[in-house]
Amino acid sequence: MTKRWAALLAVLLLAVGTATACGGDDGGGGTKEGTGTITIFSLWGGSEQEAFQKVLTQFTKDTGIETKYESARDFLPVIRTRLAADNPPMMAIIPRPGFVAELAKDDVLISLEDLGLDAGQINENYSDTWTKLTTIDGTVYGVVAKANSKSTVWYKPNSFQENGFEIPKTWDELLEITKQYKAKGKTPWAAGAQGDDNSWTLTDWFEQIYARQAGPDKYTQLFETGEVPFNDQSVKDAVNEMVKILNDQYVAGGIDTVLGISFVDSIGRVFGKNPKAEMLYEGGFVGGIAIGEVNPSLKPGTDIDFFEFPQINPDQSVDVVGGGDVAAAFVNNEDVSKLMEYLASPEAGEIWVSTGAIASPNESVLESAYPNELVKKEARELKEAKSFLFDGSDLLPGTLGQNFGTLLQNVVKNPGDKDNLLDNYQADAESAGFGS
Amino acid sequence: MTVAAEAVGRPAATVTERLVHFITRTPVHLALLAIAVIWLVPTVGLAITSFRPRDDIHATGWWTSFNHFNFTLHNYDLVLENTKMGSSFVNSIIITVPSTLLPLTIGAAAAYAFSWIRFPFRDTIFLMIVALMVVPIQMALVPLLRLFRDLGIADWYVGIWLAHTAFGLPLAVFLLRNFFITLPRDLIEAARVDGASNLRIFLRVVLPLSVPALASYGIFQFLWVWNDLLMALVFISNSDLFPMTKRITEMQGTYGAEYHLLASGAFLLMIVPLIVFFALQRYFVQGLLAGSVK
Amino acid sequence: MSSTAVPGPVGKPRGRRLPAIFRRPGWQGLLFILPAVVLLGALVAYPLVWTIVYSFGDTNSRLDIVSWVGFDNYERLFTRDRVFLNRDSFPPEGALVNNLKWALLYTTISLALGLLIAVLAARVRYESIVKAIIFVPMAIAATAVAIIWKFVYEPDPDIGAANAVLHGAFNLDPIVFIGRADTVNYAIIFAYVWASTGFAMVVLSAALKGIPEEILEAARTDGANEWHIFRRIQFPLLSLPMAVVTVWLTINVIKLFDVIYVLSRGGPGNSSEVIATQMFDELFQNGEGGYAAAIAVVMLLLIIPLMIWNISRFRSERVVT
Repeated sequence: MTKRWAALLAVLLLAVGTATACGGDDGGGGTKEGTGTITIFSLWGGSEQEAFQKVLTQFTKDTGIETKYESARDFLPVIRTRLAADNPPMMAIIPRPGFVAELAKDDVLISLEDLGLDAGQINENYSDTWTKLTTIDGTVYGVVAKANSKSTVWYKPNSFQENGFEIPKTWDELLEITKQYKAKGKTPWAAGAQGDDNSWTLTDWFEQIYARQAGPDKYTQLFETGEVPFNDQSVKDAVNEMVKILNDQYVAGGIDTVLGISFVDSIGRVFGKNPKAEMLYEGGFVGGIAIGEVNPSLKPGTDIDFFEFPQINPDQSVDVVGGGDVAAAFVNNEDVSKLMEYLASPEAGEIWVSTGAIASPNESVLESAYPNELVKKEARELKEAKSFLFDGSDLLPGTLGQNFGTLLQNVVKNPGDKDNLLDNYQADAESAGFGS
Repeated sequence: MTVAAEAVGRPAATVTERLVHFITRTPVHLALLAIAVIWLVPTVGLAITSFRPRDDIHATGWWTSFNHFNFTLHNYDLVLENTKMGSSFVNSIIITVPSTLLPLTIGAAAAYAFSWIRFPFRDTIFLMIVALMVVPIQMALVPLLRLFRDLGIADWYVGIWLAHTAFGLPLAVFLLRNFFITLPRDLIEAARVDGASNLRIFLRVVLPLSVPALASYGIFQFLWVWNDLLMALVFISNSDLFPMTKRITEMQGTYGAEYHLLASGAFLLMIVPLIVFFALQRYFVQGLLAGSVK
Repeated sequence: MSSTAVPGPVGKPRGRRLPAIFRRPGWQGLLFILPAVVLLGALVAYPLVWTIVYSFGDTNSRLDIVSWVGFDNYERLFTRDRVFLNRDSFPPEGALVNNLKWALLYTTISLALGLLIAVLAARVRYESIVKAIIFVPMAIAATAVAIIWKFVYEPDPDIGAANAVLHGAFNLDPIVFIGRADTVNYAIIFAYVWASTGFAMVVLSAALKGIPEEILEAARTDGANEWHIFRRIQFPLLSLPMAVVTVWLTINVIKLFDVIYVLSRGGPGNSSEVIATQMFDELFQNGEGGYAAAIAVVMLLLIIPLMIWNISRFRSERVVT
């Protein structure tokens, strides 16, 4: 009895001691030799993760460097804990460019130059829209690894055919289809915006409408410079249009359900095996998740397809609003440098797009690499856009981005209270020093 | 024999009495039945759901599943392999066992000193430790993260072991000390007279007599750690080391309301506490009662 | 360790050659408490002080302090942060108010139900079964409790039991319990009452059993009915255990995190946010280490009165050795 106790205690203490001894090492200094394994972190699980894994597998085949992909849907909390613990992954693919800027300013990111890469040459393959996101105060901190158009409205072609609907070119036509679906006893829309981690679907809705109604200049002034206040009439107008669709009448289960289910659930409500609604607005990645995870029996082109988010104000040219994920490095070694270079290459882009999960912002990636018409169309949309607007709420500084989603949750729940809610949000933005 | 004779003697009275008794008690029975049903239904529903095929779950309620009998273990296969719940189960054990044994041993040693050794400031120190009992973990998150970073132990289990140990210690010291002082003084004095050292008295006399208290605290701490989500969110950042609580929240984010995965995942998380509960119910209840001061 | 213990009386000669402190009686006591004191000092007390320091600063993404802001974090918390305390609305809203709501409803309902079940169950032969059923949820992780109730509250009446009952029995439209600002708090409170009533029941049941049967019998022979016995004899004797349960439940409320984090993430909007979930979001979603520290300090301040009560109770019961 006694001996066992003592032995146990000894083992435990030893374990603690050993573990304490083998600590992490700090970065700093120039590019060091790699360890043979790279940890890379992002938020995709399921089918999106499998798609990215293909890219990594090819990289390992080419270079012999092992990779370890880690993921957490809760991207920000996890990356922040790891940064605070000084245990960041070697690389991360960051969904929020606003966060890239914050990290760069806090000096925790390794620039391309420090990695020994030629930023100028890498950036030649990307348009300004993308390089702008990775360039902070003149230094380039990564590459945009993937892009997604968010100007995509997902529908069921055979349902449109049955009902004799045409692809809507204008917002009014889209509203008309919505009404007709309802008249035929169907629920036109689904959406999922529960809690902090799904409210971005509402910010996406708002951004599409705002860009098309108020135009790209005002869009930039609202989200980037803060010259247009959030209680501006243009914002209220956009909210008014938004709730023409996002209301109890037209979304599956009403607004309460929208605020009670996740984004992934909303895909299931339109494209699952027991569908409850006909259309879903969200980015290009919906296709990959719908086919890869929710319902593998879907046939692109007949069961699922998308059309471009329709025009609202004919005076404003139709713009693509979308998002992009930035690959950035936290550790400076040769392996990381190689992977960064690889992710910026057309080869990696082509493997990745061939999975149907993403579009590539890399202009050298050939269209023939895309596996189906859905993603080809998305890639074309991205490439041919006269101007590309970046997901505005992802650009807002600090907590404003997250709070914008919360604001819109409250707005769709109580549209009558929007003036008051927008005033409050503007006050918060001002006290956070945005736009002043 | 006499009882039977008596019963035969006045059967009518007994039946009426019983009937009256039963009727006056009926509301009590009904109320208890209703409460029991409300308390059982949620868990039972999820349990049944964890054995139903995905398509059935989304088509009909679990309460209809007895009409068309169709159950499967497939969900458990899926959740163990695809979502790494299997390795998370192991992680939960790796996190929980040291996080239980460390505060138990360290706390018992301190409790022994607070009960049976006189030293300066003993009661003051003891009171200070008791005062730390209700410090919320939130009060330590940021500095602990930084401390573990500076020690270089942030990427493994050591951080969470230490954090759970430290935050479990005040209760251990408090509970065990309160138990140890109830041990017969004569026994300990006798051992002292025989020349036994403090260590020997602690190991040979006090600990063997205190198994119920040690078990109560051990079970309480075990469940506390096993069921914890917050510390896992903060101190386990490497996805290979996620315990089950954290894995389930992660699953919810990736797959949404896919109840064939969530239900079977939740049941894997519940199975160990339920076994502990049914096997060691007495210690378990004592542990929780004792833990009520926390 | 103990293998070095030599059999037989060896007490005397030891320590002769040791420094003065070790000759004082009880120096071994310090040795016994040393690991506990070191761990508590380094991992609880020291961080506690640092968190207070942090609450007066702003941090960067590595949680290093970059500037000192005085009491600004506290001022912002109580005057400008609508998530924490919205004084513009009537009645006020926010995480702090939600915690108060919880403290009132969750505590009262758990206590009342626990008492009711303890009293009722004592009158039937299947008492132990009923008590086991009520008590089992205590063993379940809050994460699992959240999943269990997420499933019960599912809006689709073909999936969620709650809406199936509402639909089947009253033909009501489905209620999205977790998606509505006016139901979400009550829905989660009920889920957590479900998980905690067993605790109140067990404590109160044990206390009831501790009341000597003779007292009750004497009252019965005096002609008191069951209600009077409960009201006049049992209930007053339960006041201390009930206070213990209330304090425990209230501390639970202040620390409340898991079940909300999994079930609603504080939404819709911020309508189900509580102090602990907001603290977590400020720290890890928004990267505001200093602000989060201020919220943690507020949590501590709320708990301190309960702690003082706990300690004074302990002191009054203390057995002197």
